Amino acid sequence: MARIFGIDLGTTNSLIAAMEAGEPRVIAVGENASALLPSVVAIAPDGAVTVGARAIAMEPHLTVERDGRVSAVGFAGGEYGAVIRSVKRYMGLGGDEVAPEDRARYTFADLTGPVVRFQIGKRVFMPAQISAEILRVLKDGAERALGNGEKVDRVVITVPAYFNDGQRQATRDAGRLAGLDVVRLVNEPTAASLAYGLNQMATGNVAVFDFGGGTFDISILSIKEGIFEVLATNGDTHLGGDDIDRALVDWLLAEMPDALKLDRHVWNSARMAAEDAKKNLTDVTETEVVVELPGHSIRKHLTRAALEQIAAPFIARTLKRCELAIADAKLTPESIDAVVLVGGSTRMPLVRNRVAEMFHKEPLCSIDPDQVVALGAAVQASVLMGNQGDMLLLDVVPLSLGIETMGGVMERLIHRNTTIPTSVAEGFTTAVDNQTHVDIHVLQGERELAKDCRSLARFKLGPIQSQPAGVPRFEVTFLIDANGILNVNARDERTGREHSVDVKPSYGLTDDEIERMLEEAIDLGEQDLEERLLISARNDAEQILGALRKQLGEYGALVSPGERARMDEVAVRLDAARKGTDRDLIAKLVENLNEVTTPFAERIMDAAIKLALEKKSVEELS
Amino acid sequence: MIECPSCGKRQEPLLTCAECGSPLAAPLDCFAALGFPRKLTIDLDALERRYHELSRKLHPDRFAAKGPKVRDASLRATATLTRSYRTLRDPVARGLYWLELKGEKLADNNKRVPPEVAELVFEVQEQLAEMQLASDPEAAHELATEVTARRVELQFTMDERLAELELHFAKWDEPADEKMLTLELKTILSNIAYLRTLIRDVDRALENAKAA
Repeated sequence: MARIFGIDLGTTNSLIAAMEAGEPRVIAVGENASALLPSVVAIAPDGAVTVGARAIAMEPHLTVERDGRVSAVGFAGGEYGAVIRSVKRYMGLGGDEVAPEDRARYTFADLTGPVVRFQIGKRVFMPAQISAEILRVLKDGAERALGNGEKVDRVVITVPAYFNDGQRQATRDAGRLAGLDVVRLVNEPTAASLAYGLNQMATGNVAVFDFGGGTFDISILSIKEGIFEVLATNGDTHLGGDDIDRALVDWLLAEMPDALKLDRHVWNSARMAAEDAKKNLTDVTETEVVVELPGHSIRKHLTRAALEQIAAPFIARTLKRCELAIADAKLTPESIDAVVLVGGSTRMPLVRNRVAEMFHKEPLCSIDPDQVVALGAAVQASVLMGNQGDMLLLDVVPLSLGIETMGGVMERLIHRNTTIPTSVAEGFTTAVDNQTHVDIHVLQGERELAKDCRSLARFKLGPIQSQPAGVPRFEVTFLIDANGILNVNARDERTGREHSVDVKPSYGLTDDEIERMLEEAIDLGEQDLEERLLISARNDAEQILGALRKQLGEYGALVSPGERARMDEVAVRLDAARKGTDRDLIAKLVENLNEVTTPFAERIMDAAIKLALEKKSVEELS
Repeated sequence: MIECPSCGKRQEPLLTCAECGSPLAAPLDCFAALGFPRKLTIDLDALERRYHELSRKLHPDRFAAKGPKVRDASLRATATLTRSYRTLRDPVARGLYWLELKGEKLADNNKRVPPEVAELVFEVQEQLAEMQLASDPEAAHELATEVTARRVELQFTMDERLAELELHFAKWDEPADEKMLTLELKTILSNIAYLRTLIRDVDRALENAKAA
């Protein structure tokens, strides 16, 4: 049987791993032979895609040139192309669920639909499509690294344990869009426990504290003779290191005018500085945070204590979740034999200390917290191939599942922390004579009222032949599979026949939509690498030419005639080259054009910042 | 009779095929699924061992390379297994399920709330209302302390009821007067149900008080 690979599709970094001679190993897919692929996707205005470290370089930010000038570079979003970071935060979200502060970060197509859509150039991209690009690079990279013609087709993908049904479906959709057979979705903390369990923990109760870039999970497991049984899980799918970075940015830019805080170049530069400072403070106790703006620089001193004060509320939220999970597992912190740290955010000394206090023991972190989930995914892949003997994972559903009943009340059919796969059968009938169908609204969540739970899907049972009320009887089976995804089927109790169920997911894509996207994707898949690179170079050319035209239209007064002539000369040559097939020539001319237009771009940024600062001082005076 | 999706053998419903050992999606009651006699007393260690043993045989992770029919049977068999284990492992769920198997409903001939329970519910609800309405922070704090103490008491009562339930299970497995014992079982189970609701309400009120 072909090997199954394990993929950690992370908020910040993604990795792929596989078993080699009985040991899980990550595969180096990055440009510098690194296993970590930054989960950052750059999309040019016409859809050309770049993933990883090169995409980070395309993020909108301010950069200090060799001559000391500060200029704005990168895809600014919308028509200029965009760089999407932390796309996992948007997986499975409806348009109306996008947080207000996120709306300033990206350009969205419309925020009313059942799926978030990023507007980039003339096209829209769903989070699953962007994640698929990350998966595709992992697949291609691993196949290249293996170098023996072995294909990466079948995979296990990890998801946060607290992901709801919609977020799981979106992850599976991403896999399909990348041309992968997603054999199983595995919860990240559980995967981590497998990586540790392989040789380090024999038996006992284990807590996995998984604090990553964008999500937090706590899972409590009982390990007994190779059976990894999850007792309880809790978490927050929008709580991670990103949130600490954002709070640091708010602190950094506190004195800046709002217009600058919202500027994508400024904000992102501040975010980069914040992230670096946070990482530095793991090893040192104080650091300087610097953001260079044209004609102005923000320079602040940050101590570890001050960072900890900013981070404390987020860490408090993780500990609250731990308490809930321990209670649900019917255990006490003392009865937990080992605590495992997973995720980059657990590198913060404050996190380690708080976790140690809570569980009254030093947490384990002997496996790299950035790699442990991918390694565990490879172990689970090996279990699925039948290569791990008696090892077996029994996971749970993180959120209760139920239906809306009379008066808008949520009736729980499957309780949170129930071992999966599990199923429950529920009887339904008609309420009035000659009713033609029965509507069922499926919900997920812990609140009492349907309106406070998350809508999962609506089902229509029918058509039903006309009969008096209460005569038709249906048995509907709600089954949660080993991926934590709901499946529904209905049976007519009288005839015993399976009854069709018309499923309308409240969020996410229907199977038809996925099929259509797959058909479109095949066209792209057939192009070879050379062709893709040529397209990407052409896109770069179009992007810079378009941006230049627009800037000259708005800020033409900032250019001297001599400068203008030089720009036009290069632009005309680039415009001709991009119609040809010489990729290197296009790339060279793009670089040339960048050089001759840089002073111009700096002046534009200068003018914008002066305007913003002047406006602020006017506001302050008035 | 059901047919094995792997080898095609027709047989009595079981979770694994008698011929080839493949999973079968058979409709089984919780006791039969785990191969335990229909008794209220259960050795929980033996139950867990059986559950793990059957999980190893049935779980979808074991059949990832098989065809859709076998995978589907494995999924359904495991769903039945986990639901059965969950029901039997918890004494209250087990008691309620046992009544269901006997065709009894908890509410039948059991509508009257025992006076001592009614009194307790009334008292606690009043205490909670008082705590929620308290405007003076000092008084509110004092009331919250009282409610917390009450919570400990309620847990103690609950533990007593659960112990009582376990003690009676043995007796009910060989009933001298089945009708009377069914009634006794119902009384204890509904007492537990009242207590559960009460404890949930107290926890929620304390949580709200803490947030405020």
